[in-house]
Amino acid sequence: MSTDTAGAGERESRRSGVAVRVMRWMENLSDTQYAYLLLVPVFVLLGAIALYPLLRTFELSLFETRLGQGQGTFVALDNYIGLLTGEKDPVLPGTTTFLPDTLAFDAMIQSALVVTLIFAVVSVFFETIIGLGQALILDQDFYGRRWIRAAIIIPWAVPIVIQGMMFFLMFNSNIGFLTEPLANLGILAPTNTLNDSASSLFIVIVADIWKTSAFMALLILAGLQSIDRGLYDVAKVAGASKFQQFRYITFPLILPTIGIAILFRSVQAMRVYGIIDFVSGCETVPSLSCMVVATFLRRQGTSAAIAFTTAAIIGAVVMGIIYWQGEDAI
Amino acid sequence: MATETSQSDEARGPLQRWTQSAIENPERVYRALFYAAMVFFMFTTLFPFYWLLVLAITPEGRLLSGSYLPTIDLFGISATFPLPVPQGFNPQAFLEVFNQLPFHLYMLNSFALAISTTVIVLIIASLAGYVFGRLDFPGRAVLMLGILAISYFPPAAFVVPLFEAFTGRAAILIPFTDIPLFTPPRLLNSPGSMVMPFSALFMPLSIFILTTFYGQIPDGLEDAARVEGTTRLGALFRVIIPLSAPGVATAAVLTFIAVYNEYFFSSIMATSPSAENWSPIVGGILSFQTQYTTQYNLMAAASIIAVLPVVILVIVAQERIVSGLTAGALKE
Repeated sequence: MSTDTAGAGERESRRSGVAVRVMRWMENLSDTQYAYLLLVPVFVLLGAIALYPLLRTFELSLFETRLGQGQGTFVALDNYIGLLTGEKDPVLPGTTTFLPDTLAFDAMIQSALVVTLIFAVVSVFFETIIGLGQALILDQDFYGRRWIRAAIIIPWAVPIVIQGMMFFLMFNSNIGFLTEPLANLGILAPTNTLNDSASSLFIVIVADIWKTSAFMALLILAGLQSIDRGLYDVAKVAGASKFQQFRYITFPLILPTIGIAILFRSVQAMRVYGIIDFVSGCETVPSLSCMVVATFLRRQGTSAAIAFTTAAIIGAVVMGIIYWQGEDAI
Repeated sequence: MATETSQSDEARGPLQRWTQSAIENPERVYRALFYAAMVFFMFTTLFPFYWLLVLAITPEGRLLSGSYLPTIDLFGISATFPLPVPQGFNPQAFLEVFNQLPFHLYMLNSFALAISTTVIVLIIASLAGYVFGRLDFPGRAVLMLGILAISYFPPAAFVVPLFEAFTGRAAILIPFTDIPLFTPPRLLNSPGSMVMPFSALFMPLSIFILTTFYGQIPDGLEDAARVEGTTRLGALFRVIIPLSAPGVATAAVLTFIAVYNEYFFSSIMATSPSAENWSPIVGGILSFQTQYTTQYNLMAAASIIAVLPVVILVIVAQERIVSGLTAGALKE
């Protein structure tokens, strides 16, 4: 393109010349080189958005950084020690603590770590049971199965903010019609329901069960449909009742699937943030992710320490999954 | 049935008769249990939508005026009707939503973010899915484990440095050193600050789905295309991806729904919930909750409008969602 004599046609051929050369260079790469070349975008994206932040979070957690102080001073593991001894509790919003002060229920539900674990265990427990029930229904053949399945999946696809709005409107003490009957039963606080820690935790767990049971159901359904139908024919010939068929064929065969689904869901449940933030607020129901968001503008070091602790707990569970599943995981 | 037994049946009443037949034929109990469970699940999953509808069409002035569970007079016996009913009929709320806030802009933001994330994820995950599904090379297992592990980490573990980087105030340093790499532009309140985390967060699932689908295409088809003279990339884009169209559609639907659902980065990276800051529907709905604190009918109407796209998507694409979640998640 240096002189005016170079016409459009020559430019065209020169450009495609570069393309041809790149193509030829790619054709001559070995399989391994080609594989890594195609993975470059993945490495760049995950490196920039996942790996770098993870390392940087760990680095930040070793510094005492306050708003507008730049890098701050190096304090080694003081942020983590502060979290475990309760020194950092005043930094957390409201009356929240990281570990519980005492083993009383009221102190437990002020503790970010315990609240996160309670949320994960209780919601995953009920999601598994309800998901199993839904999966057993979807596994049957009946008229209109397609519509029932769509109805059961829909909550999973509802945006978290709208899920939050639904439960906010159902349990809000001004307008929620469910507050009064449940308060009469002693489950919820009758006034200021969404500012009461125990009530809000209950509501948030119910909301999560509503939304995520369908996900469990789909995972378990995949396990159910991989069972050899011939086994049921044999059982019928042998005179087994429906319950016996479930007890001795279905349940043992889907147990591994349920195990994987439970671990998978537990990891997701420990990230909980949106539904809490929308329905009641991080001061009322302190989850670990909530604490990261509540502190990261003022106390980066503390926030990063909580974030890395959360990541470490989840990382330990993930290691468990990978170790348990071994090579099957891939 | 003999007349004697039918007479005694009548004498015993319907419940006992049903019990008797149930004992004789347990199949009927299972049928009854099955339908009872089905109705129960349908009710619990759909009820919150019904409640939104009830609130949305109740006129604003009557929102707090009485109980939503009306007392009905049933042949002299008064009872509480077990379902909430609207207190009036005011469909204008669905239009009022757009007068109070530019709610359509929030929806457009959501669509723009979801579609651009889906396109980016599909392109990058297609390359990765091809590599993992069809090539055998050293380090394959370790790399897949690495991607898997990253997909498990909570967004909270990434948000502190990402927010810092997206404010664009200081240069990004290589962790644990003082060596500056480059100074990023200020990305807060722009689509980039959301599309990038979304892509990284939801890409692993698409990679696993596409790996499964691309791995199932017979080698012969790719070889034939190569013999015909296509390049390696040409074979991927002209043969493998078109043949795996259901898999690509699955990955696209799941990524779209995941981004549309996202709360964490959507609420943090747009520093104020206004549509000019690229805040998606999260911002719109949050504004209704914080600014129009008593207009519950508008909150409900906005939620119904915003949930419609995904409800339609689920009904249309449910086969894809089911196969994608089971294939992708169980592989993970």
